[in-house]
Amino acid sequence: MLQAIDLTKSYGAQTALQPLNLEVKPGEIFCLLGANGAGKTTTINLFLNFIEPTGGRALINGLDVVANPLETKKHIAYIPEQVSLYRNLTGFENLDYFATLANGAAVDRGLLLGYLREVDLPAGAEERRVSTYSKGMRQKIVIAIAMAKQAKALLLDEPTSGLDPKASNEFSQLIRKLAGQGTAILMATHDLFRAKEDGSRVGIMRQGTLKQVLNTDEFGHADLERIYLEHMHD
Amino acid sequence: MILHIAKKEMLEMRQDGRFQIAAAIVMTLLCVSLGIGWQQYVSINRQHEQARAETRDQWLTQGKKNPHSAAHYGVYAFKPKSPLSLVDRGADNYTGVAVWLEAHKQNEFKYKPARDANTLARFGDLTASSVLQLLIPLLVILMSFSAFAGEREQGTLRLVLSMGVPRPTLAMGKALGIAGGLGMLLVPAAIVGSAALVLASDTGSFVANLPRLGWMTLSYLLYFVAFIGISLTVSALAKSARLALVCLLGFWIFNGLAAPRIFSDLSRTVYRTPSSFAFSQRMDADLKKGFDENGLKKKLLAQYKVATIEELPINYAGISLKAGEDHGNEIYDKQYGELWDTFEAQNRLQQQGGLVAPLMAIRSVSMGLSGTDFAQFRDFSVAAEKYRRLFIDVLNADITRAPKTETAHMGDDKLWASVPAFEYSSPDVGIVLSQQTWSLGLLALWALLASLAAGWAATQRLRAE
Repeated sequence: MLQAIDLTKSYGAQTALQPLNLEVKPGEIFCLLGANGAGKTTTINLFLNFIEPTGGRALINGLDVVANPLETKKHIAYIPEQVSLYRNLTGFENLDYFATLANGAAVDRGLLLGYLREVDLPAGAEERRVSTYSKGMRQKIVIAIAMAKQAKALLLDEPTSGLDPKASNEFSQLIRKLAGQGTAILMATHDLFRAKEDGSRVGIMRQGTLKQVLNTDEFGHADLERIYLEHMHD
Repeated sequence: MILHIAKKEMLEMRQDGRFQIAAAIVMTLLCVSLGIGWQQYVSINRQHEQARAETRDQWLTQGKKNPHSAAHYGVYAFKPKSPLSLVDRGADNYTGVAVWLEAHKQNEFKYKPARDANTLARFGDLTASSVLQLLIPLLVILMSFSAFAGEREQGTLRLVLSMGVPRPTLAMGKALGIAGGLGMLLVPAAIVGSAALVLASDTGSFVANLPRLGWMTLSYLLYFVAFIGISLTVSALAKSARLALVCLLGFWIFNGLAAPRIFSDLSRTVYRTPSSFAFSQRMDADLKKGFDENGLKKKLLAQYKVATIEELPINYAGISLKAGEDHGNEIYDKQYGELWDTFEAQNRLQQQGGLVAPLMAIRSVSMGLSGTDFAQFRDFSVAAEKYRRLFIDVLNADITRAPKTETAHMGDDKLWASVPAFEYSSPDVGIVLSQQTWSLGLLALWALLASLAAGWAATQRLRAE
């Protein structure tokens, strides 16, 4: 579903991403682990075509994102680290706006309210302005947008940073549910615990290079932390 | 889709307290200025109407007197005010709207409010035109500086672009949203303005002014489109919303405050006009030279084949007065002609300012369509002067015909009535448009280029971060 082939990005002499090769299949949750500046967000931005690669290709559903900037976006949903919505609009108005943008036509109100129930937004909150929302609530709106879009792939950038443990747990359940429905998920994170819990596979990145890819069911939490730290030290 | 984006933009505006306050202030100012304009127009028009009737009445009933005394008695002529002058008072405050027509002299215009105003007046009158030309663009800037730059800072732009929205659609939606927000404010104001126009004019003149009103509406719309385009372009290009705002305010100051000043100073430096004092001195000097009275006498004696003036079959006093008038007229034509040509050259130079500041273009068009620009002042002055010459001619011809035996020749009501009343109608909208072709063209060009620039910036240069 998501595929990077020798994907490279450099700014002048500085390389942000060494040739990267990875593939995320439908129903799979791939977690990119690494410190700040490891190239995680760069990878996501390349898939979104917000920045142009200096080499290689990023494919969504088999289509090159540079050649098909609009077509490829139809298949993906993106949840940024700072979940930004229109503060002066209500949760529902935000959902309605983005869902219409994504689908090119208005989406039935009942359907949208159904998505809000599915992401478990507190009842009545959808009529309040987003400026009163917590990050977790805003994230739920964005997931509802992804559902309304019927995205086949999800790009998540540090989704759990700044969430309290309960919100973080709710979030995990939601994305696992989406993966269960066949959504391919690429998630950049600092959170080793979440990566082990949710991820099917984990990729450890450092200074623009994907150092190692692990299957999460083959090791425990402690092993992951050890391997991660080993990569950070050398 | 475009409509959906526009709807959301307008929804956000409505929820935004700052926009509400700014819009309320601008709307109030616009309505108040229209109200003031209407009240002034109605009162000045009533005064003119009254004075016009009085001056004619006084003329007709001045009783028996020497026609030359009647010529000195004179009449007043008033420049008719178009109902649209309630939107734009233009140069009227400076040129004046009334002139006294009398023997020997082409007088300067009277009733120039600018002459009585204190220095505060230099900040400008509160007229609908100043609100439309200065404050609406400011509001457009406040509404649109963050359109792209602000969404980028907030992070919502990433989300919007990740939805796969075509960028031209996004730009069109934004532009339409701003236009819609502006419409929420301008449509009610336009209704108030039209109501004021209807109240201020009888049905006939309202219908007659519809083409001017239509062109004026179109011109202002072009002006606003230009500002929306410029604002969106800057918002898409600027690194931050703050920078976009600073750039746009800079342009606003240049457009609204600096450019008019620069071009007016420039035009006065390039085309110098004499001071009022120097002008009248030069005129007096020319007039003092007088006409060649001996030459005239010789010509008359030869023409009528007589030896002395007394033997002429006509009254020499009338001929001499006419010759004096003709001589004066020649000088007036030359002096006023030169002065007014200079003013027109200055105006043409100022109109070039429309190349760098759209305000210079809309100002010219707006004044022209309101009938308050210099060209229409000149048109009226020429007509009034033509009328002055006509009525003085009628009187002098009467003196020429008078029997010489009469010791004191008197004119009577019949003579006064033989001088027609002064009638003047403002130039056709077609003539105004032909005078404003350059400025109208520039406005259209600004609107077009600004829209293209916004489209280009939003599709080619808009970065998600």
